[in-house]
Amino acid sequence: MSVDSSSLISSLHPLEIKVLLALRDAQGRGPMKENQLEQSAALEPSQLSMAVEWLLAKSLLSVASKKITPVVSLTKIGAQHFEKYAPIERILSTVCKASQTGKRLTIQDIQSQEGLEPTEVSGAVGCLKKEGAIRIVAGGHVESTGGASPTTEALRELLKQLHSTPRDLHAFPEPMRRVIEQHAVKRGNANEPFRIDDHVERAFALTPDGQSAADTLVQQGVADEVSQLSPELLKDGSWRTKRFRKYTISLRAPRIASGKRHPYREFLDRVKTKLVSMGFQEMRGSLIETEFWNMDALYMPQFHPARDIHDVYFVKEPTHASAIAEPFFSRVAAAHRDGGDTGSTGWGYDFNEERARRLVLRSQGTAVSARTLASGPNVPGKYFSIARCFRYDQVDATHATDFFQVEGIVLGQDINFRTLLGLLELFAREVAQAKEIKFLPAYFPFTEPSVELHVKHPRLGWMELGGAGLFRPEVTLPLGVDVPVIAWGLGLDRMAMVALGIHDIRDLFSSDLDMVRTTRGKF
Amino acid sequence: MPTISINLKDFSQLLGQGTITAERVEAWLPLVKGELKDHDHATGELRIELQDSNRPDLWSCEGIARQIRIALAGKAPAYPFFKAKRPTKRVMVSPGLEPIRPYVAACTAVGYRVTGEGLTQLIQMQEKLADIFGRKRRTVSIGLYRLPGIVFPVTYTLVKPDEARFTPLGFDEPMSLREILSVHPKGVEYGPILAGHDRVPLLRDAEGQVLSLPPVINSREIGEVRAGDAELFVEVTGTDLLMVILTLNILAANLADRGAAIEPVEVVYPSATTLGKTVRTPLDFAKARPIPVKTIEAALGKSFGATPIARALTAYGYRVKPSRETVIVKLPPYRNDLMHAVDVVEDVAISCGYGQFTPIMPSQFTVGGLSRVEQVSDRIRDLMIGLGFQEIISNILTSRQDLCDRMRLGNTAWSRLVEVDNAMSQSFSCLRQWIVPSLLRVESASTRVFYPHRVFEIGEIAVPDPADAQGARTVTALGGLIAHAGANFSEIHSCLDLLLFYLDYPYTLEPVAHPSFLEGRAGRVLSNGRAVGLIGELHPEVLEHWQIGMPSVIFELEVDPLAERS
Repeated sequence: MSVDSSSLISSLHPLEIKVLLALRDAQGRGPMKENQLEQSAALEPSQLSMAVEWLLAKSLLSVASKKITPVVSLTKIGAQHFEKYAPIERILSTVCKASQTGKRLTIQDIQSQEGLEPTEVSGAVGCLKKEGAIRIVAGGHVESTGGASPTTEALRELLKQLHSTPRDLHAFPEPMRRVIEQHAVKRGNANEPFRIDDHVERAFALTPDGQSAADTLVQQGVADEVSQLSPELLKDGSWRTKRFRKYTISLRAPRIASGKRHPYREFLDRVKTKLVSMGFQEMRGSLIETEFWNMDALYMPQFHPARDIHDVYFVKEPTHASAIAEPFFSRVAAAHRDGGDTGSTGWGYDFNEERARRLVLRSQGTAVSARTLASGPNVPGKYFSIARCFRYDQVDATHATDFFQVEGIVLGQDINFRTLLGLLELFAREVAQAKEIKFLPAYFPFTEPSVELHVKHPRLGWMELGGAGLFRPEVTLPLGVDVPVIAWGLGLDRMAMVALGIHDIRDLFSSDLDMVRTTRGKF
Repeated sequence: MPTISINLKDFSQLLGQGTITAERVEAWLPLVKGELKDHDHATGELRIELQDSNRPDLWSCEGIARQIRIALAGKAPAYPFFKAKRPTKRVMVSPGLEPIRPYVAACTAVGYRVTGEGLTQLIQMQEKLADIFGRKRRTVSIGLYRLPGIVFPVTYTLVKPDEARFTPLGFDEPMSLREILSVHPKGVEYGPILAGHDRVPLLRDAEGQVLSLPPVINSREIGEVRAGDAELFVEVTGTDLLMVILTLNILAANLADRGAAIEPVEVVYPSATTLGKTVRTPLDFAKARPIPVKTIEAALGKSFGATPIARALTAYGYRVKPSRETVIVKLPPYRNDLMHAVDVVEDVAISCGYGQFTPIMPSQFTVGGLSRVEQVSDRIRDLMIGLGFQEIISNILTSRQDLCDRMRLGNTAWSRLVEVDNAMSQSFSCLRQWIVPSLLRVESASTRVFYPHRVFEIGEIAVPDPADAQGARTVTALGGLIAHAGANFSEIHSCLDLLLFYLDYPYTLEPVAHPSFLEGRAGRVLSNGRAVGLIGELHPEVLEHWQIGMPSVIFELEVDPLAERS
């Protein structure tokens, strides 16, 4: 035996072997039909059809004959007609009854009385008239002639015969066949009781290769083949006498799921690691903040448009914090009113102390920075937070109600406008891998001077990476910090979306497990 | 902040530098903290967003052009009307306006024939100033009129809503003030500013002709400026004297830039204001302020000397007197945004160009690190992943339906949560008080994703707590969920047990009656006698509510106690 056929035989699947042996056993009796093969190889129809297709593909099997038989079965409509009678039956019986009682019926009457469609009625009446079972007299009244309708009778007989099992069309005599064909579903007429399907019956024979493969199988003895190595085989050493079926290893691997980080987390973790490596200490804060820490401490005047009811979420219960820690409260209020001891003129308005205690959902990560400034931070010191923030926004592909803000502060005697630019340059290089950068003047209520950092992203082109500035003295001095402080924030969502290959900001927090499992970040 | 439209041709004319391209405009925009949003090549229309909410003088084509002109010329243009002789026209203010809308400023502008584009800009400027700077007309509103129809002196007075009638803009018939306030679209929109007073402000001339009902609507007769008009009367009313005058100063400078001769008007108050009993407007109220050169140099990290600083500020519109150690600065009359020396510092930087400052790295050494809770969270993530769980990140702001109703929490202690007062939609109206609903949301959306499902989330929740100053504590919590045909208590218990073994966190379970779980198959996680979590098989009704067709088991654990151990 050649090398080829030996590898062919060892790659045969158990189902294929069963079919080959069944056909070999039946050699004297010629080709075998599918149902015969099912029996003699003891296979389920689905198993047989798989094995047959594989064997045909390997040319071990050939189709000896193919017989196409039209088979009639009932449609859903047919099943209804069997239960509740067909329109033609109902019309004939209504007309007969009316003629017996002397009631006069028009076609319209029949239609509405039986609740039938106009097309159903006209078809059936036409047929009954042609067969002489009814006639239409003056005034459009329909009468019974007392004659029989062969079509109606044939239909009833067919419904009876077919309702339990489909049958070969040729098993019916010619007149019945005509009725079937008239009432079978075809293009343009789907509401019919019968359908005719071509049933293909194939018979199979072994090819010469198949014959020799089957012979070889019998010679070798198939019983020795195993598919899975087992502890028993190892224990008694019997694996030495076994043959191991070869696998088709080019098949796709079955899918499994593993545990892993969320793709957005992988992105944020990378940012977090970068910041820590640059000497930043993490800060945490509260989801619920007072307007004082969220805005007042940041020198945003209480009339600032971004403090509007349409920009910030307010807490329902309790509405206000019990108190704000002193001396911060008095000092910040003074800074707003007339500058206090900050060297500023202040905003010059009547600072509302109750408003300062109003509770909101944190709307900016800078609130966390303000808390840090008031807590005796290290000087020099670098801090960051990745804080969940909330904005009163209509949710769409570019707006989320809650999102992460990456931001922080840098405190030190050496902090000035140029060290601010130096820090931003470092961010551009480390976080966005940008080689080209640009600084533009910007406005934030709490910094002066303020800068926008624009970078040339390798894939996105020019984009705004972040905003920063030196905290105004009206922010730092009331919180007890007397060195210059950089406040910075990075807008990373767009970069994250590109890294994760998504186009809708809501997908950063997707509920679709498949998406979370299959999204791969390109960082 | 405002986004305005300007026309490239109109802008070029105001700039006086020949035809300007959009690219050149964009290159100048850093001077005004502007960003080019859109450019319509067909019409030459540019849409520009202006960031600085304290610089209303920049919110117009004229204002942007002016700031660039100053940079090109190295100094500000002269506006002689701020020093004009005693005005001939007067506005008389009646007593009683103090609690409603006490201040008014006005001027006339003659000799500039309003063009179509000029009118568009005038209306845009009026809208942006009144809407954003004037806080939707509450603090400041503006009226423009055809001067020839007005007989001076004009009176700014108070009347009862039925005492006066006039034909408002947009209507054909005279209406009483009461009708205007209740029927006219502007009356409906801005009338509430005057609510609570039995009399309303009115501007009328010497012959009793109504100019307007500030801040609501002008008269149609003399308060409708059209292209072709060459003589205008401009007034500003409001609640803050300096804001009212500043707004008029801006309008006057803009009209002067277009070629109008501005004539000031004298406003006579019934009693003294902070600027006296009679105030001539427009008014240059800027105060000189000495700024130490050292302050500017320290903030910018660069040694300039007083003269270059003075040059930079002059080229940004300031009036400056340098000496050795200080520069004495005065803002131009159309600005009032100098609160602190740092405001001057930024203007020096902008005038020089940010590109003139070489970045340097902060030099001082600091140690980086993560918070305790983040360190523990990272460890837990690693362990959960090893146990085969996929991490989830969810929205924290969600709904009572998800957090309570679907969880069968009813009116139990478990259902207390932080709610939003001004929710935009029910779907985003509550902060989650536990993690599990976030995981069920994922399960619910993923019933066709192949099983088994093992998911977890570690994140923040808000737990109401009357003892807390904010009324609620922000807690970091872990939730884990397993869903598949055979998921049961023992499987999730094994995961929790192994996790807490690795974290070296001794615990016990105690049976708990919790509405989200099958009775007798739920437990409270206790550590050191403190309840720190929950574990159990979810109640079939909970799964039905979420339309989840698989048995699901969960645990939830507070992470903060783990971080608090040193």
